[in-house]
Amino acid sequence: MKSILKLSATAALLALAAFSNAVITLRMVVWDGDEALSVLRKAITGFEKAHPGVEVQLEQADYSVYFQKLLAQYAGNTAPDVAMLDPGNFQRYAKRGALLPLNQFFSTPGFNIADYYKPIVDAHSMNDTLYVLPRDIAPMGLIYYNKRLFKEAGLDLPDGSWTWDFKPRPELGSKDWLTCLSKLTKFDANGKVTQWAFSAWDNPPFADTMAYSYGARYVKGDPAAFTELNLTDPKIVRAYDFVSELINKRHWVPSKSELDSAVQSQAVDLFIAQKLAMFQCGIWQVPHIREAMKPGSPGFFDWDIVMFPGYQDAQTGKVNIAFPTGGSGYGILKSTPHPKEAWELTRWMAGAPAMKIMAEAGLAQPAIQSLATSDAWLPGPNTSIDQAYPHNRLATHLAVPYVVFSPTADYWAEVNSIVGAKLDNVFRGTVDAKTALSQGNREGQKRLDDILRQENLKPFPWPVGVGIICLLLAAIIYWIFKPDLGKRLSRRQKADAKAGLGFAAPWIIGTLVFTAGPMLLSLLMSFTDWDFITPAKTRGLENYTEALSGKDDRFWHSLQITFIYTLVSVPLGLVIAMSLALLLNAKIRGVPVYRTLFYLPSLASIVASSLIFKRIFQPDGGLLNLILYGPSGQWRLPFLANLVGPHGKLPDWMGDEHLTLPALTMMSFWGVGASMVILLAGLKAIPDFYYEAATIDGAGPMSKFKVITLPMVSPAIFFTLVTGLIGSFQVFTQVFVMTAGTGAPNNSTRVYMLHLYDAAFNNLRMGYAAALAWILFAIIFVVSMVQYRLNKVVYYEGAEK
Amino acid sequence: MKSRLTLGSVVIVCLLILGSVMFVLPFYTSTVTAFKSPAEIATSSTWSLPTHPTFSNFGEVLANPNLSFVRLFFNTCLIAFLSALGVLLSSSAVAYAFARIKFPGRDRLFIVLLATMMLPGIVTMIPTYLLFKVFGWINTPLPLIVPAFFGGGAFNIFLLRQFFLGIPRDLDEAAILDGASHWIIFTKVIAPLSKAALATVGVLSVIYNWRDFMAPLVYLNSPDRQTLEIGLSTYNNLKTQQWHLLMAGSVMVMIPLIILFFFGQRFFVKGITMTGIK
Repeated sequence: MKSILKLSATAALLALAAFSNAVITLRMVVWDGDEALSVLRKAITGFEKAHPGVEVQLEQADYSVYFQKLLAQYAGNTAPDVAMLDPGNFQRYAKRGALLPLNQFFSTPGFNIADYYKPIVDAHSMNDTLYVLPRDIAPMGLIYYNKRLFKEAGLDLPDGSWTWDFKPRPELGSKDWLTCLSKLTKFDANGKVTQWAFSAWDNPPFADTMAYSYGARYVKGDPAAFTELNLTDPKIVRAYDFVSELINKRHWVPSKSELDSAVQSQAVDLFIAQKLAMFQCGIWQVPHIREAMKPGSPGFFDWDIVMFPGYQDAQTGKVNIAFPTGGSGYGILKSTPHPKEAWELTRWMAGAPAMKIMAEAGLAQPAIQSLATSDAWLPGPNTSIDQAYPHNRLATHLAVPYVVFSPTADYWAEVNSIVGAKLDNVFRGTVDAKTALSQGNREGQKRLDDILRQENLKPFPWPVGVGIICLLLAAIIYWIFKPDLGKRLSRRQKADAKAGLGFAAPWIIGTLVFTAGPMLLSLLMSFTDWDFITPAKTRGLENYTEALSGKDDRFWHSLQITFIYTLVSVPLGLVIAMSLALLLNAKIRGVPVYRTLFYLPSLASIVASSLIFKRIFQPDGGLLNLILYGPSGQWRLPFLANLVGPHGKLPDWMGDEHLTLPALTMMSFWGVGASMVILLAGLKAIPDFYYEAATIDGAGPMSKFKVITLPMVSPAIFFTLVTGLIGSFQVFTQVFVMTAGTGAPNNSTRVYMLHLYDAAFNNLRMGYAAALAWILFAIIFVVSMVQYRLNKVVYYEGAEK
Repeated sequence: MKSRLTLGSVVIVCLLILGSVMFVLPFYTSTVTAFKSPAEIATSSTWSLPTHPTFSNFGEVLANPNLSFVRLFFNTCLIAFLSALGVLLSSSAVAYAFARIKFPGRDRLFIVLLATMMLPGIVTMIPTYLLFKVFGWINTPLPLIVPAFFGGGAFNIFLLRQFFLGIPRDLDEAAILDGASHWIIFTKVIAPLSKAALATVGVLSVIYNWRDFMAPLVYLNSPDRQTLEIGLSTYNNLKTQQWHLLMAGSVMVMIPLIILFFFGQRFFVKGITMTGIK
């Protein structure tokens, strides 16, 4: 007893000692990739040296999952102290009170907010309060151009004074951007493009630039709090039609699928391969180009950057320059216990100490104006040769006055995803801009009106909710044991009951501890309006009615495509897995090798396989079209080629909204490895003497298959069918990676889970997402129970008699 | 008769080779890309072989100061093998109960078991996170390991149950008559006869946990506690993908799995030839 007292006293003393010279640990999270992490770490080391007693842990999550993690942490009260944020997403957090207003720190000695570029400060502010201290700005109005190709085409190198209009103006020569485009595009004898003049890293940012430059904006009024979309503006319509014309009629700009033909589907690799004379992007591609093209190495060509041309009005001669922009910064989470230290860290990382190193590495244009015009960013006489490109880095500074941020209102992302889906086909040239934009405007506005209609909801009554959960749990337990209640058991049966529950105990305990709570809690959530940040509010059945009543247009659509996908991919996948398993069960040499080869796709990284699938489904030169139509596109594979139908053009599997679902289905076949292994294990479990006996009885291979193989392997088939169905209803990751989470084109790959994910983590509607999940649960449950009846067909050698 | 057999096996081998080519494509591309320099990746076809194969990408990944490959490898091994052990131990026991013992509530419990697979994990993610927060398990590998010891997942239980149901009853009936307990039957009769299925479950769950992205992403924060799959994602970010490192990294992440699978399938052999039924 004494020793315990002594021990605890020592422990208390130790704890006290630790407290008095406590080291504060700050956690900071970013979405930067590998190339920036070393730089950030270096800056943090500097910070720790300058601030003894403060330690910083740098955490990283990729942008595609960044907010999912941040929201989970915020809800769990384990949020980091400082988080990277950008103009497009900070409002969601700021509006709900998750971010610390930074104005209170402006009086810190040595800090002056006027040092930062004003546009990026404004973009990170809400109601005149700054929530994110800007770190960098990234105007997307830069054109990287290949000097060699310009000279070859007999054009003067651009100096930024060029302009564009909707028609080429050859009389202006190199000063007319369209003239440059026409001269920089090359065709072969068959009219196939061998060199494109221009592309942005994707079609939509190009269209944004053209619309902005023509003087249009997507929303009316304050971009931070707009209430009305402006997509039917004739200027936007004209700009979008023009973009489609440049892609589909003139072929000066590659289409989406042509862009995807490069490894890096962001145009930069087409540029490096000299198949693209100019490409539009922010400054962030510079490190990649430097690495892929070292001065003096084979394949090197002289290149530089220049500002995107302004639109010149033919009548007035006035020039309007405008383009989209990126940028980011650091915000402080309100939950931090160390706001002062967090501010010091924020200031350090967004300020000169860190951004100087960042700029020197060529990774980001500092948001501090003096830094962006200093030697750290602009090349000077002392710049080394591998840091020298691009020479005209001053363009990044000159571009700042013309930047246009996407609307920063927190609902823009949701509305924009509705609108954006409609525009995919404009870029493919299969629908005119007016039709698509007015449809997008109508549907987007409808959703916007709903969002803006403030629902006056009451806080969710948690005690009542938990009470209901307990009742539900009790009801389920009663239902489980009801058939066995009041039965008199023999001694043997009693022993069995004990043993059975004992063997099943790990799962029963695990389910009660780890699974039941979260599942039932998510059921409760489905009756609420919950954004992860503020307390949940009661929404009753409205989440369910919103989905089922058709108010959410995309609900039925996504359900429908998921059904079709399941209906086709599960049975076909089973047939393929079964055939493979049978082949691999044959007694031939090298079977272990084949088995491993067939299982490989299930081991490959999703990113790698997405890359491959893009190549396979490529319209021009893609593997699938090569098989169907031959290298010249003239041959027709019997039956299958006609199935797709000759549209005059080779099918664009990932671009044509009618073909994406078949493409997804085909993709799923690469993942049959797991089912194959399971079925194979089932085949291996069939005793040889069954076949031997059948052979003696004179049975042929077919009847052996029907009478022995099929029944004996039916438990494994049943398993594959049930789990395959569940998995295919919940298909997500592959589609998410392939379409960057958009469900493009035109929502044709917006599978159910993608819609659900979007609702939860992009629109912060966890309550609605939970309702969607429980609707899916109900559907899968019903379908599985129908399948479960089939269980009677399944032959179990060891079934109870 | 003999000539027909060889014709048959020629057809089988042809089909196998054709199929393997299709299935090997993703791995092939990752591998050739892993040996190319960034310049070559930018300018060559996805399918082409590297003209100047280089090991420098692998070296760069291994030497990356931002993510200690060895450390992540160790973390990943720990999580994958421990959770596979948990899965094997607990899912086989639970599956035995469902397949071979008549106990109260069994059939409806089995429906509950299936039902736990039907709710998308995305919506239980946050509540589960809160739960592990209460346990104090955030930023530790425990959320990725401990649940495996409690049932090992509905998928694995269901799978093993199917296999156990395929084993003839005569053996355990005889053992029961001899007074053997269920524990003896499970360890001495059913488990040895189900080597193929157990190996399948073991190998599949190592692979699953090795490649899992979402769970480690959510539960692990410190860079030195991450897994390989999370580490790889730093090469593939919003604005630029470093294909040369990404592919070199993913090949290295895959190789242990390929080895495991290749040798693991030694156990996918007949588990039941011994049944020989007296």
